[in-house]
Amino acid sequence: MADMKNNRIKHNIVCTQPDIENLLELTPEDFASATEEQKESFIQDRESISYWKDAWRRLKSNRVSMVALGVIIFLILFAFVGPSVMPYGYDQFNKGAENLYPWHYSLEDGEKLAEAQGSAEMRLELAFEEAAKEKGSDLTSIEKAKIKAQVNTSGLDEGKLRKELGIHKKLFGYSKSELLRKADGEKIFPHIFGTDKYGRDILVRTMIGTRVSMLVGLFAALLVLIIGAIYGSISGYAGGKVDAVMMRIVELIYSIPEMLVVLLLATALNQPLKDYMNSGVGGLRNFVGVLGPNLISMFVAFALLYWVTMARIIRGQILQLKEQEFVTAAKALGAKNSRIIKRHLLPNCIGQIVVTTCLQIPSAIFLESFLSYLGVGVSAPLTSLGSMASDALGGVQTYSYRLVIPAIILSVLILSFNLFGDGLRDALDPRLKK
Amino acid sequence: MAKYTIKRLLMAIITLLIVASITFALMNSIPGSPWLSEKTPSQATIDALNEKYGLDQPGIVQLGKYLGNLVQGDMGVSLKMQKNRPVTDIIREMFPLSAKIGFFAILWAIIVGIPLGCLAAYHRGKWVDSVLRVICTIGISMPSFVVASLLLSTFAGKNEALRVFPTIFDASLGFRTYVLPCFALGFYPMCYVARQTRSSMLDALGQDYIKTARAKGLKSGPIIFKHALRNALIPVITYLGPQIAFVFCGGFVVETVFSIPGLGRYFIQSIINRDYPLIMGTTIFLAAFIILMNFLVDVLYKVVDPRIQLEKGDN
Amino acid sequence: MNKEKTNTGKLLEVKDLRVSFFTPAGEVKAVGGISYDLNYGEVMGIVGESGSGKSVEAYSIMGLLQSPGKVIGGSITCDGEDVISKSKEEMSDFRGKKVSMIFQNPMTCLNPVYTIGNQLVEALRAHNKTISKAEAEKKAMEMLELVGINNIEKRMKQYPHEFSGGMRQRVMIAMGLICSPKLLIADEPTTALDVTIQAQILELMKDIQRKTNMGIIFITHNLGVVAEICDKVSVMYAGKIVEQGTVEDIFYRPSHPYTHGLLSSMPRVDAESYERLVPIEGSPVDMLNPPDGCPFAPRCKQCMQVCLNKMPPYVELGGDHRSACWLRVKEQIDNKEEQTNE
Repeated sequence: MADMKNNRIKHNIVCTQPDIENLLELTPEDFASATEEQKESFIQDRESISYWKDAWRRLKSNRVSMVALGVIIFLILFAFVGPSVMPYGYDQFNKGAENLYPWHYSLEDGEKLAEAQGSAEMRLELAFEEAAKEKGSDLTSIEKAKIKAQVNTSGLDEGKLRKELGIHKKLFGYSKSELLRKADGEKIFPHIFGTDKYGRDILVRTMIGTRVSMLVGLFAALLVLIIGAIYGSISGYAGGKVDAVMMRIVELIYSIPEMLVVLLLATALNQPLKDYMNSGVGGLRNFVGVLGPNLISMFVAFALLYWVTMARIIRGQILQLKEQEFVTAAKALGAKNSRIIKRHLLPNCIGQIVVTTCLQIPSAIFLESFLSYLGVGVSAPLTSLGSMASDALGGVQTYSYRLVIPAIILSVLILSFNLFGDGLRDALDPRLKK
Repeated sequence: MAKYTIKRLLMAIITLLIVASITFALMNSIPGSPWLSEKTPSQATIDALNEKYGLDQPGIVQLGKYLGNLVQGDMGVSLKMQKNRPVTDIIREMFPLSAKIGFFAILWAIIVGIPLGCLAAYHRGKWVDSVLRVICTIGISMPSFVVASLLLSTFAGKNEALRVFPTIFDASLGFRTYVLPCFALGFYPMCYVARQTRSSMLDALGQDYIKTARAKGLKSGPIIFKHALRNALIPVITYLGPQIAFVFCGGFVVETVFSIPGLGRYFIQSIINRDYPLIMGTTIFLAAFIILMNFLVDVLYKVVDPRIQLEKGDN
Repeated sequence: MNKEKTNTGKLLEVKDLRVSFFTPAGEVKAVGGISYDLNYGEVMGIVGESGSGKSVEAYSIMGLLQSPGKVIGGSITCDGEDVISKSKEEMSDFRGKKVSMIFQNPMTCLNPVYTIGNQLVEALRAHNKTISKAEAEKKAMEMLELVGINNIEKRMKQYPHEFSGGMRQRVMIAMGLICSPKLLIADEPTTALDVTIQAQILELMKDIQRKTNMGIIFITHNLGVVAEICDKVSVMYAGKIVEQGTVEDIFYRPSHPYTHGLLSSMPRVDAESYERLVPIEGSPVDMLNPPDGCPFAPRCKQCMQVCLNKMPPYVELGGDHRSACWLRVKEQIDNKEEQTNE
C-alpha cells in the first residue's frame, strides 16, 4: 500500500458527468478533512454596503442624473457667483446700450455700412436732381417714389447692404460708444445676451432670475417638506378618527382651485407686506425687503396649499410601516410614540421623502415662473425668468432672443431637477426602479 | 351608492362654503376698490356706490348675504368689468369657450399620451423608450407659457410660410384657431400622462398576474392591452381628474398669450379690477367643477377597479 | 378512474440545462447544468432552498424567463418537442396547452380587475379559437367543479378579491388544467397557504393527477409536501442537482450531506420529544462568484480537501438514485480497495 501515495490512482466509477475522467486524479490527501479556516476562506463574502453608500453608487452609475447634477451645479454657480463677477448690475440702466442684440458689428464694418448707405443716398439724390433738371421743376413725392424704385436702392436696406458688403455679425452685444471705448484700449465686458429696452444687461438679469427661481424652489420645497412630513406622519400614525379628520382637511384643500387662490393670495398679501416693509419695525423687515412681498406671498401659498401631496405620501408610507413587526417590537419594548415616529418610521420612508422633496423643487419653480409671467410674481426691479419671458412677449417678433433665452434656461433648470429627482428615486428606492 | 353620493354632496357643500369664505376674506383684504379708475370719483359717489352694492356693510354680513343668494343660484352682479351684468351670465358666456379648448387639449393629451406610454413600456430600454422619455421629460419641464410663447414666436414670426395657424384667437376662423392653444395647453398633460402610463404599465407588467397570463399562453397583445393596461390606468385617472378641471376652466396663461376671451383670462382681469362678485363667482364655480371631477374620478375608479368599494370611502 | 398509462416513456427530458442572469455586477449562473427525465404520469419534486435555482429552471421550461435571464446551454424536450428552439409565437401556443404552471402566491396571481369566469374562459379560448363563448363557459364551470368550488354560477361572476387564498389557488389549478396539459409545473403552490388549506390543495392535486395522468413537477422547499405527493425527487443546491432518486431513496437512504441536513432540519412526528431540529449552518454561496469546488463545501460537516477544489461527479447508487458528493466517491474507492485487498 506504500506506493499508493506516489502513484496517482484512477478508479472506475459510474459517472454521468461527461468530463469526469480528468477530474479523477486523486490522492488520499484530497480526502483529508478540511479545516474551518479553509472552509471560511472558500467563500469571499462581499462587503456589505450601507444604504446611503449603495444609493450613491447607484446614483453615480446613472449617467443622465449625473449630467443633470452637473447642470444644476453649473446653474447654481451661474446664479449665485455669476452676478458678482459681472461688471453690470441687474437693475443698472446702461445708457446708450438700449435694445442691443446678442451680436454686434465691428466699428470698421459700421463705417463701411455708413459709407455705402451714404453713397446710396447720394445716388438717389443725384437721380432726383437729374430728374428735376430734366423736368425743370421740383419733383412731386409720387415722382420721387418712382425714381426710388428705379434706382438701385439696395443700399438703403441695411440687411441687403450688409450682405452685399460681406459684413458678418460678431458674437456678443456692444453699443457703439462701448465699441469706441474698446477701440481706445479700454476693457469692456460685452453684453453676451444683449440688453433690454432700458439697456439692462440680459445675462445678469438671467442670472438673477435663475437665482430667484432656485431660491423659490428650494424654500418652497423645504416648507412643503416640513409641513407635509409633520402632518402626514401624525395623521398616519394616529390613525382612526384623527386620521379621518385630518385627511378630510387634505381632501378639502385638494378641492380648492389652488391657482385661483394663489393668485388672490399674491394680490392680497402684496400691500400689507409692503406696508410692513416700510413701517420700519420688526425683525423680519429686512427679510421681507430682500425677497419682496410677492415672493413671500408665494411661500405662504405653498405653505398653505402645496403640502397636501407630501402629507398624503408620507401618511401612506407610515400606514404601511406601522403594521410591520419592528414597530410592534418597539412598542412592546415600551417606546414612546414620538420615538417610534422619529427613530423607526421616518428613517424608513426617508428615501421617499427625499425624492418627493426633490421633485417639489421643479414644481415650485414652475409655479413661480407662472405667477411672474402673469405679473403677480416677483416685483420689479427684481426679476425672475418668468417675468423676463413675460416682458419679452411684447417685442417677440423683433427681439425673440429675449423670450427664448429665459425660456430655455427655465426649462433646462426644471428639466435637470426633474431628471436628477428621477435618478434619486431610482437610487434611493430600488424597488421603484423600472 | 345613494348614501355615498349624499355623503359626497355634503362634503362638497362644506368645501364650497369654506372656499367661498377664504376667497371672500382674501378678496376683501386686497387694497383698492372697484370704483377707482383714471378719474377718481368723489367720496360721496364712492359711498353711494358702496351702499348700493352693499359694500358698506361689515364683511360677515356681506358674506352671509352672498351665501344666502348663492344657495338660490344668484352670484350677484359684476361691479365693473361688465357693469350690472349677473355673474352667472358672464360665466355662462365665458365658460363654454374655455371648456371647449380644455376639452380638446385633454383629449389629445389622453389619446396620444396613453399609447405613447404603452409603447415606451413595451420597448423598455430600447431606443423608442429613450426617445419618448427624453421628449416627455422635456415636456413636463416646460411651463405652458414657455410652450405657448415659443409657438407664438414661431407662428407669428418673420417667416411668412409658418403663419399657418393664427396666434390671435378668432372664433370665425374655426378649427385652425384652436390648434395652437389646444396644443400648448395639452402638451404638459400629454407628457405627464405618457410618463405615468409608462411607469404604471411597467409596474403592472411586473405583477404576478401577468406571469399567469403568460403561462396561460396569451399573446403579447391581450397581455398588454387587456391585463396590464386596465390596471395601469388607475394612477393615470388619479392624475387626470384635477387636471381636467383645471384645463377646462382655462389655462390662464394660454388664454392670455393667445388672447382667448375665456374664463381664465377674465379671472385675472377681474382681480386686477377688484370686481368682487366676479372673483367670488369664478372661484366658486371652479371649485365646484373640481369637486365634480373628483367625484367622477372616484366613480371611474370603481368602474376600472372592482376592488374599490365607494361606500367605505376610505382607501 | 384508474391510473391508465396511455402514454409511456419520457414526457420531459432536460439535459445539461444552463441558465444565467446577466446582471450589471456580472453573470449569475442560476442553473449550472442540470439533467433529469420525467415520465408520463409521474410526479417529481424539486427541493431546495431559496435561490437554489429551482424556479428559474421551471421558468425556462415554460419559456417565461425574463431578461436578463437566458438559457445558455443544454436542451429541454417536452412531449417530443424541442422547447428551447421555439419562436415567441410557438412558445405562447405551447404554454398553457402542453405545459401549464401554477404559482406560489394565489393572492397576486389572478388579475384583480377581471372576473374569475373571464380569466378561465380566456385561458381556454387562447388555445381553442373555434370554441364558442357559451361552450367555453361550460367547460370553465366543469373545471371549477373539478377543483371543488361550490356555487359555481355565482363564483364565475366574482372577482379574485372575493375569494379566499385557498379558493384562489383552486381557481389557479382549474385555470392551469383547463386545456388538459400533459405537464403541470407547480411552483410552491402551497407555501403561501395555511396548513389545513395546504393539505386540501395537495389532496386535490393528487386526485386530479390520478384522474388525468398528467406529469407534475412540484417545486417546493418543504420535504413533507414531497413525501406526500411525489414519485421521485431532485434536490437542488446552488443551481445544481446534488441528489436525485425516488422518494424512498431520498428519505430513507439520503446520500448527500445537504439532503441529510434538509431531513434533519424538518420536524418529524415520530421524533423523540427531546430531539432538537438541526439547522444547516452557514449561508448559501455567492452565485456571482461561485467557487471551483462543491458549492456546499463550506457548510458541510464532512468537508474534505478535494471538495474545495473540484466539483464532485455524480455517483450512481443503484436504480435512479445518484448523488454528487466526494464522500460517495471515497466510499466507492474504499470499497474497491477492500475488494482488491481480499
